Amino acid sequence: MKPIDCEMEPDILAAVLQGRWPERVDASLRDHVAACAICGDVAAIAGAIDDAREEMRGHAVVPDSGRVWWLAQMRARREAAQAAGRPITAVQAIACACAMSLLGACFGATSAWFQSALHRTAASLASIKLQALLPFAAAFVSEHAAPLLAMAAMLLVVPAAVYLTMLRE
Amino acid sequence: MFRETAINDIQRDKALDDSCAGFVMDEETFRAFYERTARGLWAYLARLTGDRQLAEDLLQETFYRFLRAAATYDNETHRRNSLYRIATNLARDVRRRSLARAASDPVGDDIERVPSGQDAAATERMTDFTRAMARLKPRERAMLWLAYAEGASHREIADVLGLRPTSLKPMLFRARRKLAELLGRAPHGGKP
Repeated sequence: MKPIDCEMEPDILAAVLQGRWPERVDASLRDHVAACAICGDVAAIAGAIDDAREEMRGHAVVPDSGRVWWLAQMRARREAAQAAGRPITAVQAIACACAMSLLGACFGATSAWFQSALHRTAASLASIKLQALLPFAAAFVSEHAAPLLAMAAMLLVVPAAVYLTMLRE
Repeated sequence: MFRETAINDIQRDKALDDSCAGFVMDEETFRAFYERTARGLWAYLARLTGDRQLAEDLLQETFYRFLRAAATYDNETHRRNSLYRIATNLARDVRRRSLARAASDPVGDDIERVPSGQDAAATERMTDFTRAMARLKPRERAMLWLAYAEGASHREIADVLGLRPTSLKPMLFRARRKLAELLGRAPHGGKP
């Protein structure tokens, strides 16, 4: 089996990273690197990467630490405010829906016009014979089965997708 | 109505306080840690992404997520590994998104621009190195950089990259050999 590491590897790496390679190391180490495939690669790669690191660190333009801290604080506050506002919004929406329902119920109970309209609608619904509608409904369903199925699927999928998206957010 | 508003304000303030308390690190400690790690982390991100501007954006995002993680660390190495793990995951996410956008987006275009003031040989050497690194897989780039630029141990690299320490050694060996060949180092016949 081909070896994948060498016991001298840490010494070579240390010499490269400390800037001692190749001039300021023992001749025995240089001889070893010349003969060892693994250490040869380590010396070449570590030297190239160390040069690149020095070059990049020298030209790195990183934001000021104070600015990064301040931006992080601001963002954390903003996200916390959004998170705190989310349940309030939901509660407000439910409260609004309840208020609208209550208002509707009061209107329905007190309005004579609404009561009479309600009675008329109930009477006309009672007069409709469901038995007569069944063949028509069956024909409609068999004729438009595909779009109806697609609509039913949409009705199931869309709320689930909205729910999952909101859950992820 | 006033009561409801007051309750809302109290809830909001509590959330804000919680968020500030979520930063386990105080400003002074953070700034000292940032000064020690930011340049190295920027270089790592720039090398992973091949884009200096993107590296700066990811650097800020990394430190923000690090602060929000609200974790406690045993020592400086543990803290640093955590930072690099966040950075690695962010760079990976960005790469996945950019792959979804454009499959053939070459890495290293931006980073190849070596700043002026260097001699021609150094510039050429750096360009060759950048091109060779760009031809490695992102994970190979990351492990080589962590090993040879950051001097991280095998265990630390495995921790940062989410790999098993036992599988790291052969992977590192292969990545090193690949880079050596890309840099023009012929396979060696010698034995260790």
